[in-house]
Amino acid sequence: MKKLDFLKILVIATETGRVTRKYPYEPPLVSNEFRGKIEIDEKKCIGCGACVIACPPNALELKIEKNILILKYFVGRCIFCWRCVDVCPVKAIRGTSDFELATDNISDLNEAVIHDRNECIECRGNYSTVKQKQYVIEKSPITENYVSKCPDCRRNGFINSIQRRKGGVYAE
Amino acid sequence: MNSSNKTNILEKYREIAESYKGSFSYIKDTVLITVDKNALRDIAETIYWKMDCYHRTCVGVDETPLNGYLALYHIFGDDKNGLNIIVKTITELKNPVIPSIRDIVPAADWCELEAHDLLGIVFENRDLYRLVLPPYWPRDIYPLRKNIPYNYRPEVVYSSERISESTETAVVPIGPYHPALHEPEYFELFVEGEKIVDVKYRGFHVHRGIEKLGESRTTYQQINFLAERICGICGFVHAVCYSQAVEKAANIHVPERARFIRSIALEIERLHSHLLWIGVAAHILGYDTGFMHSWRIRESIMLIAELLTGSRKTYGINLIGGVRRDIDENKIKKVLETLDYVEKDFKKLIDIITSVPEITRRIKDTGVLPKEDARKLSVVGPVARASGLDRDIRRDLPYAAYEYVDFNVPVYDSGDNLARFKVRVDEVFESISIIRQLLSNLPKGPVLNNEFEIPEYKIGVSLVEAPRGEDVHFVITGRGKPYRWRVRAPTYNNIPALKVMLQGCTLADAPLTIASIDPCFSCTDRIVIIDEKGFRRSILLNPFNRKCDLK
Amino acid sequence: MLSKFLKKSIWVFHLNTGSCNACDIEILDVLTPYFDAERFGVKLVASPRHADAILLTGPVTYESLPKVIKAIEAVPRPRVLIVMGSCGVGGGIWHDTYNTIGGIDGLKKILDERGVKVDYIYYVPGCPVRPEAIIYAIGLIKGLVEKKATAKIKKAES
Repeated sequence: MKKLDFLKILVIATETGRVTRKYPYEPPLVSNEFRGKIEIDEKKCIGCGACVIACPPNALELKIEKNILILKYFVGRCIFCWRCVDVCPVKAIRGTSDFELATDNISDLNEAVIHDRNECIECRGNYSTVKQKQYVIEKSPITENYVSKCPDCRRNGFINSIQRRKGGVYAE
Repeated sequence: MNSSNKTNILEKYREIAESYKGSFSYIKDTVLITVDKNALRDIAETIYWKMDCYHRTCVGVDETPLNGYLALYHIFGDDKNGLNIIVKTITELKNPVIPSIRDIVPAADWCELEAHDLLGIVFENRDLYRLVLPPYWPRDIYPLRKNIPYNYRPEVVYSSERISESTETAVVPIGPYHPALHEPEYFELFVEGEKIVDVKYRGFHVHRGIEKLGESRTTYQQINFLAERICGICGFVHAVCYSQAVEKAANIHVPERARFIRSIALEIERLHSHLLWIGVAAHILGYDTGFMHSWRIRESIMLIAELLTGSRKTYGINLIGGVRRDIDENKIKKVLETLDYVEKDFKKLIDIITSVPEITRRIKDTGVLPKEDARKLSVVGPVARASGLDRDIRRDLPYAAYEYVDFNVPVYDSGDNLARFKVRVDEVFESISIIRQLLSNLPKGPVLNNEFEIPEYKIGVSLVEAPRGEDVHFVITGRGKPYRWRVRAPTYNNIPALKVMLQGCTLADAPLTIASIDPCFSCTDRIVIIDEKGFRRSILLNPFNRKCDLK
Repeated sequence: MLSKFLKKSIWVFHLNTGSCNACDIEILDVLTPYFDAERFGVKLVASPRHADAILLTGPVTYESLPKVIKAIEAVPRPRVLIVMGSCGVGGGIWHDTYNTIGGIDGLKKILDERGVKVDYIYYVPGCPVRPEAIIYAIGLIKGLVEKKATAKIKKAES
């Protein structure tokens, strides 16, 4: 009877029964720890770009055009690592467990958040974003006058004030 | 091993270095010896045969921005004493010539070819052919040199190889896309009747430029995610090995709890990889029932991996300095329940598989690898343990939390396919017991260390036991990203052993023998030359014999 | 739209253009008892001439490029291409290295130059792609489920 030992597989098969899940007509076999797509909350985002630097495949990108700044998210290249969730300073990015993302049109996989940029009170050039300036002024109100100028004007103003104090000559 | 033993061994290596007029230095478990290139062959013979070390890999580095030379590092391993021995030589940029050690150390064959392809170092006294890059790549562009950017794509004319012609034997082409293969690789089998006479193989369809990318666009923490995608089945191994190499080079402290969590995830990966292999081997032999049941059991392991780490594969929880996720009490209970069920089910399944007549007759006494050939070629992993070599990095050079657990290392002597099967089955039961020991001894504390600085130009070598063998990562640190990063995957050292194993094989036994070394071509992308008669013929990669056809 | 032509079962051919194998093992996983794609009539075939659709994984590497073009040419019309994973849809982590074309964008340009027409393309993101996501894509082709992904443009208010 030893020769027919391999027939015991029928016993195992009947004991286990049927394990197939009838997805998509039944909920899938996914836990709530699963890392799926991310969602960017436009009320909290300040446009600093920390997520863009941390993203390994460059799925998050910053594009700058005159007086608006666009944060682009391409779901097609995302590797679902959630590093952006870790590094955001205002916790504006939230992870979900969504994985049903198939489509036949690739432009469905693009998302964007649009920010307005500031205007410098001296040179009227554009710099940074309105929400980032508000974030800095909330954290330390004493800097309000300083951050209303763009970085180039700030630098020139600092050099001129040193020159006046020391009485030296600034060679152009 | 105690410290007096260690000082004796270090003294011996210092004497060897001084007898060849080289410099000697060591830190923790790595010894660095720098010699002139004319003394390279003699010192390689002394270390490989007299001191009974194994050869791990060799790395070519472009150090022209630092000191104007190209450098070559040969890494040997002394497993009995737990040391890594690095031998370094340098050569000038204008005429880079270094003597080859292929006849003394047969395991160094392909690393030298890779250094030639990607860096332009010319080796004397051996034939050189194109290994890693496609055959129509321009001749004088070496991608790993620092003056070539990582995203440079040359203008080329794409062409594929034509089947070579032969009048005495029949040629059977397999691949690159074939129902029996999961990865693109191209075999041409020369057969006389049913016996295989010669095999030609062209690989490298999966070379994606990972090492160059790690030196240019990515930062230190981003490379953890890049390293996980070198291979989808054994990805976490590469991430842990890379971060251990950087932590050794920069002396970063890792919390205890993080080390335990890394070991638990590594053992879960070993379980899912071995169950996958048993299913694929049963499928190749024609026993599809075994394939379905084995993968049904494997599914419960994917569920606990998703519960602990957040994803079924490519876990993504490793960072330099620790891990990103923690384990709590409910998860531990669920994992232990699942492991009990898996152990009982798996034992019943293995009893049945080994009693099926078609499996026992085909798997015994085929594809034999004798012990001397295994020692000459420095094979790793279950292939070595099935041929009588007692090598396991978890026991010889312990890393992560393996010094706190007890386990056995299964070793068999026969060297055939059945021995490799039995080694993997025993390792599954050992892994389950290791996970139980780790979960019952978890220490408390933080899981991530965020305060560290990484100094420039320090060397770090680390080894991890993957399901397929030992994995070596070599890192030279730079500013913000590594200066050089080299990966040597485990299948790299195992493929030359196929040349010995397929001698005298019939055509029907060849797929099982190739699958029994558990090849993972995306880890390696290397070339195999298998020759029946025993002498090496390098016909395949000689560019003169290949006819390209346009479009 | 496609469901008018493919009312019966879809036979797929698996084409690996240089991926890390995670997506490929998940394709094998779809045939195992827990997920069972054979309920929908999906079968893996041996030759592209028998196939209705191609499952493409991996960023297309230079070495495998001529063979991929030959395999796609061998599929009879109407050709359906299902592009899987982060590597296929956007090029992945290696979208600009020296040995890859960069996923489906670069491949479309080369196929247009050679005059090989592809009728329908479906994109499935993920890294690696879950077996349930593959079944969702097949359900989308056959008209069993609705598409959920839409483009969103949001404005940040101050």
